[in-house]
Amino acid sequence: MNEFKNYHPAVNFLYFTAVIAFAMFLMHPACLVISFVCSFAYSVMLNGKKAVKFNLLFLMPMLAAAVLINMAFNHEGITVLAYLPGGNPLTLESVIYGAAASAMLVSVICWFSCYNKIMTSDKFIYLFGKIIPSLSLILSMVLRLVPRFKEQLHIIMQAQRCVGRDVQRGNILRRSKNAVAILSVMVTWALENSIETADSMKSRGYGLPGRSAFSVFTFEKRDRLAVTYIIVLCMYITSGRLAGGLYFRYFPSVQWHYMPVYTLSILAAYFMLCIMPAAIELWEVSRWKAIELRT
Amino acid sequence: MSFLKKHKYKLTAFILIILALIFAFRQGGNSPKLYESESVTSTAEQNSPEPSAMQALEKAEKEETAETEKQDAPNTSDIQSGTPQPKTENAYSAQNASNNDKAAEKDRYQTEPAVQAEQPPDQVQSEDVTDKELNCTLSVRCDTILNNIEKLDAEKLELVPQDGVIFAEQTVVFYEGESVFNLLLREMKKNKIHLEFENTPVYDSAYIEGIGNLYEYDCGELSGWMYRVNGRFPNYGCSKYQLKAGDKVEWVYTCDLGADVGENYAAPEE
Repeated sequence: MNEFKNYHPAVNFLYFTAVIAFAMFLMHPACLVISFVCSFAYSVMLNGKKAVKFNLLFLMPMLAAAVLINMAFNHEGITVLAYLPGGNPLTLESVIYGAAASAMLVSVICWFSCYNKIMTSDKFIYLFGKIIPSLSLILSMVLRLVPRFKEQLHIIMQAQRCVGRDVQRGNILRRSKNAVAILSVMVTWALENSIETADSMKSRGYGLPGRSAFSVFTFEKRDRLAVTYIIVLCMYITSGRLAGGLYFRYFPSVQWHYMPVYTLSILAAYFMLCIMPAAIELWEVSRWKAIELRT
Repeated sequence: MSFLKKHKYKLTAFILIILALIFAFRQGGNSPKLYESESVTSTAEQNSPEPSAMQALEKAEKEETAETEKQDAPNTSDIQSGTPQPKTENAYSAQNASNNDKAAEKDRYQTEPAVQAEQPPDQVQSEDVTDKELNCTLSVRCDTILNNIEKLDAEKLELVPQDGVIFAEQTVVFYEGESVFNLLLREMKKNKIHLEFENTPVYDSAYIEGIGNLYEYDCGELSGWMYRVNGRFPNYGCSKYQLKAGDKVEWVYTCDLGADVGENYAAPEE
């Protein structure tokens, strides 16, 4: 269930750059809904239950908080609903814009969680290791930082629990003492690990000319197809955006242009772009099932 | 040749960055191309001041500092009396060096003198507000936008009234001790006109960001709201200006840092 991952890294990278850029720049509510739904679905597809939990427990409160923050600090708009205690107005437009902006924020985070799953560090290094060696190494290390730390923290906590230094046992003093010990181990590990990584990359001659990458990817016919698909859709969406087919403004009053078929066609193109990896996965599953049934 | 080959990517990246910066600079509002015609830098062509005038000025400055140091407990109003008002300095320079009084106002580093901060007439405090009702007039206008309509944010076009009057001049009630800001806030709320401000209670300072959804920077980068009381612009915040009965308060939108509504901070005294 990870077919899109098997595509060439260039395809993966192109796709995610395009989709994340569009998610940030297209503020039309329909685009936001499409991006939100697709990214949510795809992150659940990739990460399973964990993603559902993360999305509901972390992203939904964040969405609500972003709306509230926007309401508190943005007072533009012609429809005054009420007055805040400070004297500034609370406007309908700021509420709507807050909802839109937070939907955008959440969908971009979802897209990045998918990106992390698909674009592994070896793929990134494969793509950029030759052009910008040190930067791509740093980027791949930074992007992996949080998940790796989380994994290592889990390991350390398990080990500490085995020797009876659990953070969930004993009074508060004891617990905090154990937690500090874990933190110290964690920091030591992180520092040592970064030095080891640097040393090991250097000893392997990283960045020198004539080196090949760890993983070898071949650009197949399906990759060419996917790239064409992505580029054609991107061009259509961009031109549509520039032509004003996706015009939607939030301030000072909510207004939009609706060009009956044109707007719909751009939105359809955007949907086709956003749903692409999920569709590939589903199609692959159904094909696999068909083969299984045949035998 | 090998150097070029070796650093091919770095060189291309460097050139690309430079090009991007140049592009961004030309696009930006402060690009010299846009402001070439306007003589912003006219004051730079001042001739140097006569030595005698400069010495006299330095001497006067020394005396001032000595005077302020003499005072044991200098509260704000005492310092105010010690430092010369812009007007008195102007009179002095007109006496001594009438032909280049502007140059004499500069210090020995040839910089423009800082605009002398007028002290607010009275510190406005909320407990000073009484129940006594008084009258003054208030108006909110944005007719400078009509002359600069091409600079205006296209989305805001529909918000500008035909005659530029957002709130026609009329007599309004205020309570003794209130500031211009209190008055504006109440009247805008009463008349259902949008108003956004930024309040910094620590300094008792309120800044009006937008009235009627016309915000600062909406009409060029030198635009924003200013207030005028009885024909002159106080150079302190509207929450510091304590209203007096019969005051004529006008809120005007400027597109040129006040120059188009009759205030010029760049050349403080004419």
